[in-house]
Amino acid sequence: MSASGSIGGTARREPHAPESTIGRKADYLHAESTLRSWFLTTDHKRIAILYLASITGFFVIGALAAGVVRLALVVPNGAIMTNDTYNKAFTIHGVVMVWFFLIPSIPATFGNFLIPLMIGAKDLAFPKLNLTSWYVFMAGALFTLVSVVLGGVDTGWTFYAPLSTAFSNTWVLPALIGVTIVGFSSILTGLNFVVTIHTMRAPGMTWFKLPIFVWAHYATSLIFLLATPVITTALILLIAERAFHIGVFDPAYGGDPVLFQHLFWFYSHPAVYIMVLPGMGVISEIVPAFAQKKLFGYRFVAYASIGLASVTFFVWGHHMFVNGQSDLASLVFSALSFAVAVPSAVKVYNWTATIHKGSLRLDTPMLYAMGYIGLFVLGGLTGLYLATLAINQHIHATYFVVAHFHYIMVGGTVLAFLGGLHFWWPKFTGRMYSEPWGRVSALLIFLGFNVTFFPQFILGYLGMPRRYATYPAEFQLLNVLSSAGATILAAGYLFPMLYLVYSLWFGRKAPANPWNAKGLEWETASPPPTHNFLSPPEVPRIPYDYPIQAQESRDQHG
Amino acid sequence: MSAKLADGVGVARAEHFETVAQQREAATLGIWAWLITELLLFSALFLVALITRIQHPEATVAAAKHLKFWIGATNTVVLIGSSLTMSMAIEFSRMGWQRAMVRAMLATAALGGLFLVLKGYEYYADWDEHMMPFLSHRPFALAETPAARLFVNLYYVATLLHALHLFTGIALLLGMTWMAAKAGFLSRHQNWIEVYGLYWHFIDLVWILAFPILYVVNR
Amino acid sequence: MRPPRATLNADDRALIRKRLRTPVLTFLALLALLAVNVTLGATLPFAQVWIVELAVVAVMVALILLVSMEVIHEPPLIRLFSGLGFFWVAILVGMTLTDYLAR
Repeated sequence: MSASGSIGGTARREPHAPESTIGRKADYLHAESTLRSWFLTTDHKRIAILYLASITGFFVIGALAAGVVRLALVVPNGAIMTNDTYNKAFTIHGVVMVWFFLIPSIPATFGNFLIPLMIGAKDLAFPKLNLTSWYVFMAGALFTLVSVVLGGVDTGWTFYAPLSTAFSNTWVLPALIGVTIVGFSSILTGLNFVVTIHTMRAPGMTWFKLPIFVWAHYATSLIFLLATPVITTALILLIAERAFHIGVFDPAYGGDPVLFQHLFWFYSHPAVYIMVLPGMGVISEIVPAFAQKKLFGYRFVAYASIGLASVTFFVWGHHMFVNGQSDLASLVFSALSFAVAVPSAVKVYNWTATIHKGSLRLDTPMLYAMGYIGLFVLGGLTGLYLATLAINQHIHATYFVVAHFHYIMVGGTVLAFLGGLHFWWPKFTGRMYSEPWGRVSALLIFLGFNVTFFPQFILGYLGMPRRYATYPAEFQLLNVLSSAGATILAAGYLFPMLYLVYSLWFGRKAPANPWNAKGLEWETASPPPTHNFLSPPEVPRIPYDYPIQAQESRDQHG
Repeated sequence: MSAKLADGVGVARAEHFETVAQQREAATLGIWAWLITELLLFSALFLVALITRIQHPEATVAAAKHLKFWIGATNTVVLIGSSLTMSMAIEFSRMGWQRAMVRAMLATAALGGLFLVLKGYEYYADWDEHMMPFLSHRPFALAETPAARLFVNLYYVATLLHALHLFTGIALLLGMTWMAAKAGFLSRHQNWIEVYGLYWHFIDLVWILAFPILYVVNR
Repeated sequence: MRPPRATLNADDRALIRKRLRTPVLTFLALLALLAVNVTLGATLPFAQVWIVELAVVAVMVALILLVSMEVIHEPPLIRLFSGLGFFWVAILVGMTLTDYLAR
């Protein structure tokens, strides 16, 4: 089997495989290859691969929609396409990227694959429910794509009333139904993770030995459970309003469109933390591995995950400062929005402190992780500007907001997703990808991303509104720059799709632990056997038991 | 898990669990996690009713007075009774009294069905009284008070959503009863009855909230 | 404990009484509380009666949660989960009211 040993540290237990399981037939990927064995699987690892394939497809759709948007904005007068087409493009971009890529991306792929491995379990608590969640996800996607095929939706991913309920002539209902359905998929995933992490940890695997990846997914799963039902209600009311005109968001009947926003954002603000927390979990695994150094302030990072998942529920009104809600509400939400930045900052400091005096290797996953930290900081800090009431009046609904959330969602989550994909690719597939191509792509994506989105901060500051198909001519240079960046970014995204797929057939076979990383997933073969571990895994003495264990205030030599 | 299980009553371990205790704990935690989502789903609706009340107190009262208070009250009695029969089913499952358990489950389903029948009659009475504002061809009784229309529509959304859960619950219950009547069920799947019972009690709990919030406090 | 024969003997009857005591008492308590609310709702004795009605509802919910759903006998984790939802509902309602009550 593999010959990679760890640097110093404890002797590694290679799984002692009986003769008949050595060889590729024993791993989860090659055990059975019928269609039935994939589409009716209950193996969490195969379900993760099903999700990986589908979310990649949806990412491509969402990215193409973004391409349409950036194309339109090359000229200020909207000459390239009709306003309606433009509105549909940014709506589909948002709907697909938020619900069909970002929200499931890390949890449903990496979470599904890795959580049982990381806690030393054979599978999730409810394997059939896991498969069901994928089918529900695909059903929701189907409805949404139907609305695209029929002609699209133009309300924006936020579906605000009264546009969505009374004025839009587009296929709003199928899209609403699709998003409502996909919500159940995330509830089922969250439920599965919460129960699994509570009840199926291996003996000796206490909470404070768990990788931060698990803490982050636990926190995310709490948000899945507590937030998603409220948007289900909001969408049900929206459907009832549009179909039966029940009056709930119509002032003529005593309703209030702002109430929709309250219900929508009660979910959608925590949803952005659903999109962010798992990425933080990924970074918390990559950074110690590529610094070969224990994670700094482990307990703080663990508590910060739970803190984020809690405080995030108290800030949703910061999306609503200009819509007529009471001054008291705005004040409270603004103040609490400052508070919610703190746990994120704690994590950033701790990653940085982990890197400090670490033994760094700048392989592809680490390039993505370092890019993440920088871009997430920019995105997060600009959130504070937006949380400031006086400033918000000027930059609400401008490109400043667009840049802010893309720094976090793309500069953050997408980079974390790609970093994690490269980090765990050997584990998922048993193959190594081409490291030079990985590094080139990471740098290209970082470059393309900044050229695309940094100009948008300036555009927003200068007053360019979002979701408008036209803009004042003096903004054209920055818009063209942004669109040019988007093409670089697109090229950057394309390369991994090519070389990763190439590696499936031609990549070097991966050892169990190519990175000398810590964590139970690295203690089993690459790819893992169907039941995860050939013999019960040995729970670590401490988490992140890396060679460099330097404490913050002690100068020690290991 | 409090009560003792009779001899021969238990749970067959699924292969991905290490112990039966782990499996039981996971199932119980799982249903509670699900119920959290259900609570938030309905509470968001109740919030909308609350906001309607705050913004339009007179219209809400006017609308609420047209709701069928006594049918609602009777239905509450029916559901409370069904909770009793469900609790009985749980106890019988622990005692290993399979036939009694099956009868209690059927009684629960019957009472749930009775609720739906009464609800159907109530909707008919609402229709008759021109209290279905979403029917454009049937002029609404309180048309001069627009917000009353909203409250009445919310009443329909809330009670329809509850009825959907109840209907699904009855369907699941009947399916489970069919399986539970088979020999050996209680030695392999006793905890299904307890897990399901939690769902049933929760449907009851939602109605215990819905009846006052819609019918009582707004009078 | 073997299942009872067609007719119940004294041991069986005692067992039924013991095991079903709590569900039956809970049932009666819930009916009584419902009767209170129905009476208040039908007679409307004073303007702020809704406060009393909601308090009665709270007691009924607590009874179902703690007794019928046996939360009172469950380990701490389950108890946490059973209460967590209500706490989160409080956040939803409370913070939304900062808007609607202060407009």
